[in-house]
Amino acid sequence: MPVKVQCEKLCPEWPCEQPDEFHDIWVVMEADEHGINEASLQMLTPAKKIQSKKPDEKIVAVLVGHDVKKYAEIPIKHGADKVIVVDDPRLATYYPRVYGQVIVDLAKKYKPAVILVSATMRGREMGPYIANTLRTGITADCTDFDVDEKTGDVLMIRPPFAAIMLAYIKTPFRRPQMGTARPNVFPVPEPDESRTGEIIEEKLEDILDPGMQLVSHTPVKRSEVLIEKAEIIVSVGKGIGTPEGVQLAEKLASLLGGVVAGSRKAVDAGFVTPDRQVGQTGKSVKPVLYIAIGISGAAQHMLGVREAGRIVAINIDPEAPIFRQSDYGVVGDYRPIVEALIEELERLKQEGPQALEELLKEAQAS
Amino acid sequence: MRIVVGIKWVPNTQAVRFDPKTGTLIRAGVPSIVNPHDFPAIELALRLRDNYGGEVIAISMAPPGAIQGLEHVLGMGADKAVLLTDRKFAGADTLATSYVLAKGIEKISREIGPVDLAIFGHETIDSSTAHIGAQVASWLGWPYVYYVRDAKLVGDGVIRALRQTEKAVEEYDIKLPAVLATAIKALKPRPVRLSYKLRAKLEKPIIIWTNDDLGLDPRCTGLKGSPTIVANITWMPEVPRKKIVYKPKDPRDAARWILRQLFTDEAVAPFLRKALWGEE
Ligand SMILES: Cc1cc2nc3c(=O)[nH]c(=O)nc-3n(C[C@H](O)[C@H](O)[C@H](O)COP(=O)(O)OP(=O)(O)OC[C@H]3O[C@@H](n4cnc5c(N)ncnc54)[C@H](O)[C@@H]3O)c2cc1C
Ligand SMILES: Nc1ncnc2c1ncn2[C@@H]1O[C@H](COP(=O)(O)O)[C@@H](O)[C@H]1O
Repeated sequence: MPVKVQCEKLCPEWPCEQPDEFHDIWVVMEADEHGINEASLQMLTPAKKIQSKKPDEKIVAVLVGHDVKKYAEIPIKHGADKVIVVDDPRLATYYPRVYGQVIVDLAKKYKPAVILVSATMRGREMGPYIANTLRTGITADCTDFDVDEKTGDVLMIRPPFAAIMLAYIKTPFRRPQMGTARPNVFPVPEPDESRTGEIIEEKLEDILDPGMQLVSHTPVKRSEVLIEKAEIIVSVGKGIGTPEGVQLAEKLASLLGGVVAGSRKAVDAGFVTPDRQVGQTGKSVKPVLYIAIGISGAAQHMLGVREAGRIVAINIDPEAPIFRQSDYGVVGDYRPIVEALIEELERLKQEGPQALEELLKEAQAS
Repeated sequence: MRIVVGIKWVPNTQAVRFDPKTGTLIRAGVPSIVNPHDFPAIELALRLRDNYGGEVIAISMAPPGAIQGLEHVLGMGADKAVLLTDRKFAGADTLATSYVLAKGIEKISREIGPVDLAIFGHETIDSSTAHIGAQVASWLGWPYVYYVRDAKLVGDGVIRALRQTEKAVEEYDIKLPAVLATAIKALKPRPVRLSYKLRAKLEKPIIIWTNDDLGLDPRCTGLKGSPTIVANITWMPEVPRKKIVYKPKDPRDAARWILRQLFTDEAVAPFLRKALWGEE
C-alpha cells in the first residue's frame, strides 16, 4: 500500500493529493518528421517491467507535436496499451516550456502514477520542467527500474557518481513518479503487429505563450555512423597515446565494418570527438563486439558497455581492471598487436573462409 | 543587464578514489572545486555584462564552505555573490534546491534590482542531473533553453541564444527575463585575477542569506521539501563475462588468438564473417 499523505506536512506550494489517486505508466514519445525517436520507444521496456509487477496499470504513450497522429500505432505495437495524442499546428515548433506544459496539463487531467522520459537532449531539457511544474520528483539517468513490493512505489535505480554503487530512489509522497534513462540503456521492445490499443485524441485549447521564437535552424550533417547504432566498436583510451594510434584503430574498425569510440581521457586528449565518448557521462552502447584498446576499465567507462555482447581488451598492464570485466583479454603493447590483427584480417578477407578454417584447425593441433 | 549565475561547490570527483578492499569511497582530503560545467555559464554572463553593461551576481545554495567557490567567481570578475545557506536547506533534492534558488533570485530582484537573466551550467559533476536550469525556470515562470553556446542582445529585452542539439544549430529569440543553461565546454573561461580577488575580500561583496532572510516555509526546503528519497544503496551487479586473459608469445600469436576466440564464439562470429565476406 502506498503511504497516506498528511496534507499539513506538505509544502503548501504543492497540491495535496494521495498517491492511490494516480494510475498508469506514461512514456513520453519524441517524434519529428522522421517518426518516433527510437530512444523514446526504448522506455517502453522499463514501463513493461514496472507493469509486470503492477498488472493493473496500463502503459500509456503520450505523443505531442504537429502531424504526429500518423505515428500513434507505433508505440502500441511495441507494448503500449493506449496512446494519448495531441496533434496541433501550434506545436509545429518545439519549445521546451510549451511542450512541457502540454504534458503537465495532460498529467493533471489523467493523473498518471509514473512518467518515463528518455534522456535525449530534448528529454533532459523538458523532463525536469514537467516534474517541477507538477511539484514532483524526477530521477535522472536511471539504469534500471523496479517496484517496492510493500508500498508499490517505483524504485528509480541509478549510479551515484562512483558508478560502482546503485542508489534506489523513490518518490513516496508525490505522484507522478518521474524518471529518465539515457538512450540505449534499454532495448526497444520487439514489435507485435497484432497488438491493438486505444488512441485518445486530446484537443488543445489555450497554449502557453512560449516567450521565445525559433529564428534559425541549421541541420548539422551526421556524416558517420553513430556509436549508439554500431554493431562493432573499436574503442580507444589514453593508452592509445598518439593520433597515429587512433588511425590504427580506425583501420581495424573499418575492416570490421565498425566505428571508433573512446574513453573520456581519449576525448580529453583530443583523440576522439565528444560525441563518441562511451560511459557514464558519454553514451551507452550495445555493440555485438567492443574492442577496448588502452582503456583501463574505470567504472564510469564500463557503465557504458554493460549491454555490449562481447568485450575484447588489449592492455599493456596485466593488472588493468578491464581484464576482470572483459571476455577476451590480451596483455601487451597494443601497437604491434593491432598491426598484426589488421594484417591477419586483411589476409582472411582476401583468402576467404578457407583461410579461416586453417587458422581454426591450427589451434586444435597446437 | 542584471545576470544571476548559478554555482555549485563540489567535491572534485576526479580525485575521489575507491578502495576495493573495503568497498568504500575515499573522500577524505578530497578538495572541493567550482563545478567545471559552471564555467561556461560564468563566462557567458561576464561577456554579456562586458558587452552591454550591468552586473553579474553569482548565487549558490550551499554550506558556508562554498564561499571559497564564490570568491573564485568574484576573482573572475563577477560583481557580487549571494550565498543561500541554512541548516534547513540541507538534504535537498533538485526540486528543493531549485526552489531556494528561485526564491533567492526573486529576492535579488526585489532588493538589489530586477534580474533579467539567470544562467546555469549544464550539470554538476557530483550529481549530473541537469535539472536545475529547467526547474528554476518552472518556479519563476520564465522561458528557457538548454545547450546554449553563445548569446547576444537583439533589441529591447530580447536575447538571441545560439545552441546546438544532435540534429541542428538553432537560434532562439527569447523575451527577458529568461533562463539559459550552457552546454558543456561551450566557452573557455577567463582566468582569476588576483586584483579582483583581493578587492572581493576587502569590499566583502558576498551577501549571505539564511532562511530568516528568505522566510521560506521549512516544509518546502531541504529534506522535507524533497519528493525523492534514497531508499537503499547497493553494489552494482556485475555483468557476467568470460574473463579469459592471454599472455601472447608475440604480436602475431596475440592476433591469431583473438581471431580464434572470436570466430569460435557464435555471439560474434556471424557478424565478423559478414564484415569480411558479406556472408549472412
Ligand atoms: C563523474 C565522472 C564521470 C566519468 N565519466 C566517464 C565516461 O563517461 N567515460 C569514461 O571513459 N570515463 C569517465 N570518467 C573517467 C574515468 O574515471 C577514467 O578516468 C577514464 O575512463 C580513464 O580513461 P582511460 O581508460 O582511457 O585512461 P587510463 O585510466 O589512464 O588508462 C589507460 C590505459 O592504457 C593502458 N596502456 C598504456 N599504454 C598502452 C599500450 N602501449 N598498449 C596497451 N595499453 C596501454 C594502460 O595500462 C592503462 O590501463 C568519469 C569520471 C568521473 C569522476
Ligand atoms: N546548490 C546550487 N546552487 C547554485 N547553483 C546550482 C546548485 N546546484 C546546481 N546548480 C546549477 O545548476 C546546474 C545544473 O546542476 P544539476 O541539475 O545539479 O546537475 C549547475 O551547473 C549549476 O549552475
